[in-house]
Amino acid sequence: MTRFVLRRLALTLLLVVASSVVVFVVGRLAPGDPVQLLMGDLRDPVVEGRIRRELGLDRPVWEQYLRFARRAVRGNFGQSYANPGRPVAGMIGQALPVTAALATAAVGLALLLGLPLGLLAAVGRGTLPDVVTRFVALGGMSIPSFVVAVVLIQWLALGWHVAPVSGWGEPRHYLLPVAALTLQPLAYVTRVTRAGILRVLPEDYVRTARSKGLSPGRVLVRHVLPNALISIITVAGLAFSYTLTGAFVVETIFRIPGLGQAAVGALFLRDYPMIQAVGLLYAAIFLGTGLLADVGYAVVDPRVRYRR
Amino acid sequence: MTGADAAAAAGVLRPAVLRRRRLLGRVRRDPAAVASALLLAVILAGVLVLPEAWPYRYDQQSLEHQFEGPSGRHPLGTDQYGRDLLTRLAYGGRISLAVAFVTVLAELVLGAALGGVAGYAGGAIDDWLMRLTDVMLAFPALLLALLLAAFLGPGTTTVIAALALAGWPGMARTVRSEVLSLREREYVVAARAQGAPPRRILLWHLLPNTVHLLVVRATLDVGPIILTEATLSFLGLGIQRPIPSWGVLIADSFQHLQSYPYLAIVPCVALSATILTLNFFGEGLAEAMDPSVREGAS
Repeated sequence: MTRFVLRRLALTLLLVVASSVVVFVVGRLAPGDPVQLLMGDLRDPVVEGRIRRELGLDRPVWEQYLRFARRAVRGNFGQSYANPGRPVAGMIGQALPVTAALATAAVGLALLLGLPLGLLAAVGRGTLPDVVTRFVALGGMSIPSFVVAVVLIQWLALGWHVAPVSGWGEPRHYLLPVAALTLQPLAYVTRVTRAGILRVLPEDYVRTARSKGLSPGRVLVRHVLPNALISIITVAGLAFSYTLTGAFVVETIFRIPGLGQAAVGALFLRDYPMIQAVGLLYAAIFLGTGLLADVGYAVVDPRVRYRR
Repeated sequence: MTGADAAAAAGVLRPAVLRRRRLLGRVRRDPAAVASALLLAVILAGVLVLPEAWPYRYDQQSLEHQFEGPSGRHPLGTDQYGRDLLTRLAYGGRISLAVAFVTVLAELVLGAALGGVAGYAGGAIDDWLMRLTDVMLAFPALLLALLLAAFLGPGTTTVIAALALAGWPGMARTVRSEVLSLREREYVVAARAQGAPPRRILLWHLLPNTVHLLVVRATLDVGPIILTEATLSFLGLGIQRPIPSWGVLIADSFQHLQSYPYLAIVPCVALSATILTLNFFGEGLAEAMDPSVREGAS
C-alpha cells in the first residue's frame, strides 16, 4: 500500500513539474510582450532595457525557469507585473478560497441531489424516475453553464428579484453562481451513481444478501452502495477539479473575484509570474485530485492495490 | 458483437459491413434516436438553407429597425443593430456546426493515427503515447482552449486547434484498445505472413475495422465541442465578430437581457437543443452498438 502511494506520488510530482515547464515555455514563446504592455505608449529603449533587466527577462528561458523554480519551491512566486508591488502568492491566496468555496458548494449540492437521484433511477429502472433522471443527466451535460446563468439571471434575479445579479461577499451572492455551476457535476454524479449501482446489482453477493432475508433497504446500504462507491469517488474528485477550473465562466458572468478571473486577466496582460503560479496551481489541483482518487480507490477496494 | 464476429468468421459477410447493418437496424428501433436524428436533419437543413434563402445577410444592419419584435418580415425580430435574428441564428448555427465538424475530423485523423500506431507497435511507443494521453485527458478542454486562445490570439483556427488538441487523446484510446484486440486476428496474421508492411496492415486491415467505433465516438464528441466553442465565444475568446456563432449571439444579447430577454433566450434554446439532440443521438448509437453501455461504464 505504501509503495503504491509513493509511486503514484512520485509520478504526480514529476507531472506537476513537467506541466509547469510547459506553461513556462509556451508562455514565453507566445507573441505579446509584458514589457511593452507595461510601458503602454511610452517608447524609450533605455527604460525598456532597464525594466527587462529588473524582471530578469533578458536572461535565457532556461535560466528564467530555474530562477522561478528555485523561488517557487519556497512558496515565493514573485510579484505581479500587472499589479506592481503585489506578491502573486497573496493574490492567489485571496482568489483561491473564493473559487474553492464556489466549487465545494456546487459539487456538494450535486452529490446531495445526484446520489439519491441515481439510486432512485437504478432501483426503479425504466420507471418514471429513471426517465426523469436520464433527462436531467443529459440536460446537465448539454446545457452550458453560461446558458443556465442567463436563464437564472433572467428569471430569478431580474424577474422575481429572488437573488442579486452580481456582487460578492454575502451568502445570498452564492445562490445563482452555485446553481449555474452545479448542473454539470449533478449530471455526472447522477449517471455514474446509476451506472455503478446497476453494475453491482446482478452480483452474486447481492443475491446472497437478499436470499438470507435482508430487507431491500439494508441490502442497498450495506452491500450495494459501498461497492458502487468507487466510481462515484472518482467522478466526485474529477467533478471537483473540473468545477474548480471551469468556474471562470461563471465568475466572469457574476463578477466574482475568484481564481478564474485572476487567471484570465493575467493571460491577457502577459503577467508571467501570475500565469506561472496559476498554471502550477491548476496542474497541482488536477493531478492531485487524480492522485487522491487513485489512493481512494486503493483504500476502498483492496483489489486495486495488487494490480500493476 | 460476438454474433457478428461468428458470422464474419464463417465468411458470410465482411465484418465491417455486417456490423454496420446490425447497428442501423438497432438504431431504427430506438424511438429517441430516430426522433433526434430527424430533429438533427431539420437543424442541419435550416442552418444550410436559411442563410441563403432568407433575404437578409447576417451582418446587414438597419438602424431604423432596432429591437423589433417578431413580425412577418422578421419572424424572430431584430437585434440591437436591426439585424435579422433568424438569419443570424441560422448563420451562427452554421459556424458552430462547421467548427465542430472540422474539429471532429482533425481529432479523428490525429486519434486514429496515434492510437493506431500505439496499439499496433506496442512496447515503449505505446507506453509513452498512452502516458501522453493520460496527461492530456487530465487537462480540461476548456482550460487548454483558454490558454491557446490567450497565447495564439482568439479566432476560428485557434478554437479548432485547441479543441482538436484536447479531443484526440480520447479518440486515440478508443482506436488503440480496438487495434490491440484486433491485431492477433487471423486476417491480420495472414496479411503479416504474406509480408505486408505494418503501414499497410494498419491502414487496410486494422483501421477500417475501427470505423464503427470512431463514428459513435465522433458523434458523442460533437456535442461537447459545440458547448466548449460556445463558451469560448461567449467569453470573447472564440469566434470573432462580425462572424456570429451561437456563443457570440448569446454574448451580444447578454447586456440587453433585462429589456429584450428573448434575444438571449432564442440562441440559448437553439444551442442547448442542438447539443441535447446530438447527445441523445450519440447515446442511441452507442447503445445500439453495445447494449451494455447504458448499464456499464458511462
